[in-house]
Amino acid sequence: MNTINESQSDPAEELKQRLALLRDSARQYAGNAAHLKRARALRGTRPGHDAVVWREMAALGWTGTMLPEQYGGTGLGCAEMATICEALGRSLLPEPVTAAAVLAGGAILYGDNEALKAKLLPALASGDLLPSLAWREDTHATTILAVAARAEASASGVRLSGAKRLIVGGAGADGFVVSAQQHGGLALYWVPLAAVGPRLVFHDLPDGRPAADLELDGIEVPAANRIAGPGVAELALARAYDEALIMTAAELHGLSTRTLEITTEYLRTRVQFGKPIGSFQALQHQAANLYIQHRLCQHALQEVVTLLQQPGVDENVRGALASRIKARCADASLRITRTAVQMHGAMGFADECDVGMYLRRAVTLAAWLGGADVHRRRYARLALTEIAA
Amino acid sequence: MQDWNAMHDDDFRMEVRRFIEQNYPEHLRFLTNRPPFQVIKPWLMKLAEKGWSAPHWPVEYGGMGLSPRKLLIYMDEQGRWGVARQFLGEAGTVQLGPMLISHGTPEQKKNLLPKILTYENIWCQGYSEPNAGSDLASLSMEARLEDDSFVLNGRKIWTSSGLDSTHIYLLARSDKQARKKQQGISFLLVDLAAPGVTVRGIKNISGTTEYCEITFDNVRIPISNMVGELHQGWTVSRSLMGFERINTGSPRRAEFAFKRLEALARERGLFKDAGFVDRYTELALDLADLKAVFVHFADMLCRGETLDADLSVLQLLSAETNQRITEFLLETSGELGLTVTESDSDGRVDALQPFLVMRAVTIGAGTSEIHRDIIAKRVLKLPS
Repeated sequence: MNTINESQSDPAEELKQRLALLRDSARQYAGNAAHLKRARALRGTRPGHDAVVWREMAALGWTGTMLPEQYGGTGLGCAEMATICEALGRSLLPEPVTAAAVLAGGAILYGDNEALKAKLLPALASGDLLPSLAWREDTHATTILAVAARAEASASGVRLSGAKRLIVGGAGADGFVVSAQQHGGLALYWVPLAAVGPRLVFHDLPDGRPAADLELDGIEVPAANRIAGPGVAELALARAYDEALIMTAAELHGLSTRTLEITTEYLRTRVQFGKPIGSFQALQHQAANLYIQHRLCQHALQEVVTLLQQPGVDENVRGALASRIKARCADASLRITRTAVQMHGAMGFADECDVGMYLRRAVTLAAWLGGADVHRRRYARLALTEIAA
Repeated sequence: MQDWNAMHDDDFRMEVRRFIEQNYPEHLRFLTNRPPFQVIKPWLMKLAEKGWSAPHWPVEYGGMGLSPRKLLIYMDEQGRWGVARQFLGEAGTVQLGPMLISHGTPEQKKNLLPKILTYENIWCQGYSEPNAGSDLASLSMEARLEDDSFVLNGRKIWTSSGLDSTHIYLLARSDKQARKKQQGISFLLVDLAAPGVTVRGIKNISGTTEYCEITFDNVRIPISNMVGELHQGWTVSRSLMGFERINTGSPRRAEFAFKRLEALARERGLFKDAGFVDRYTELALDLADLKAVFVHFADMLCRGETLDADLSVLQLLSAETNQRITEFLLETSGELGLTVTESDSDGRVDALQPFLVMRAVTIGAGTSEIHRDIIAKRVLKLPS
């Protein structure tokens, strides 16, 4: 019986070991207490993150994790990326890794413009480029494919019109992936920052990070900047969206895990009525409820990323899994961070207490790319045959 | 002797499936209540003849010797077909057998194990007492040692299937002076036909008489009916570490309930009702994620790891998901649904019984409150 060979050839075991290594190194980097202080200090500033840290992350391979090796990436899957995002979420790092590397990067990668991919993706992997996806418009549409912005042929290439809202990572972006309708259907265009001019307006998200609105009217780009045309664009956008949902869920899981740790530590040490408040059953049972939510997220996330690690997953299955995990982690993280504030009492309501920052990040990420209600409905459409029919 | 573990998973699954489909009575599929022994006996005897009464026991004691992985397949196939009193529901095969195998004397093993497998002896479990429920270790039933006998006095209650059983294994206090309440307890085996034993059925809120109260009035048993050491019965009763413990956390019952909800929704055309669909979807997701948690614990067993206090997470999730589904089932079923019964359903969905029966799942295998205490103290390490 050759047990060593067996464990080496077991892909599940290999993945487990790789993830453990990745988790350790990501936590070691992100867990530095300086990051949380930095996140606090950067609230309300522009671009809201640190370009030096962005490059450090790129050097660690985090911006190219899901990019194939031919584009300077490491060609790993959802499971590896989720592990990194979980670590980022734990420490509230403000750098827009999911928005730039997974959502915008994915939209470029899954497009069919090889020349653009060869130019943009290695720069994303090396940290030289921070792209953002401009998808949301001023509607309450619940699908990323609902696009009213337009792209029309002009003398010098393509002229865009319309407006995009709340582009996460947009304040520090070097360029935008813009979704727009053209003759024949939906398309994606690469709009470098230089072509944008003064058309960006910034807002603070609840977690203190900025999001950008982008006025498209008057922007012109060469026709060669088309990342994907009708047919391909829908698929590219849907896949990038699903992967970003999963990574957002992983971030939410990471931040609620850390919130739970901070809170149980507080329950052990805060003394009232002559006892640690964690000895009171009312608080113990609340804490147990939060822990159950935490474990639900942990195991559901693990199942989802493991399933998506297989090649050739059906598009509807992928969408259902992504929505399932986003809904779960959004709900759980809001419940955990709200209760954490409550358990910290008046201190929890004070800005100086970290749990408030965790709550505000949870509120932001829970809503980003659609909240739990949106994703439960999408799951129903994609996965429950009775409802889909 | 067949080595089941050497079989390919899929082949083993198909073999189990074939046997169940060919032998399990159609009218007993997907029952809400645990059927009485006489009703399910033909099926149990088929299992016994096949040598499949105790899939998790070692082969040398008449079991199938299944690995955790194969056991999960076995259980999954029973669940898939809606088999009642799945092997994990039998106190003799599931609970007592493994305890005898690890703590019993050679005579006890030789005399008792074969009769468990053939259902010649049907065992029930005597742990709870009128004043020892969640606080089980405070039990007070007396086992007085007189020469080479124990004399038993006291009451056991909430004993499942007591009316069907021929024997009971129980915990009784053999040393009243012990310093800790968990000490001074012995693990004893009693024939229910012994003089001084009275069994009384207790009707529950779902209308069935599944539980019993058993009174012991100067019941004399030989000292050879003790399992494990004198005063060490608590340890014996806590010795089930593996597969037996994830049974109550299986998502199967919640899946059964969800299937009913689906059937009811079809019957009433509710998949067009947005309000219904929202809540239905929430439950579908709860069920999907419960399964992911179950798979985690099942995988731990398959890897040979020991289950820990965090198993309470699975227990709670499973029980409470079950309840949420059956509560919604009852609400959806409405006033007209209240008079539909399982035996007289006319093809309509019976909602009341599942709702009532599932009231017990947050009580029976440790109350939800006890499980939350366990998570708080032993997993989150909150202070006492």
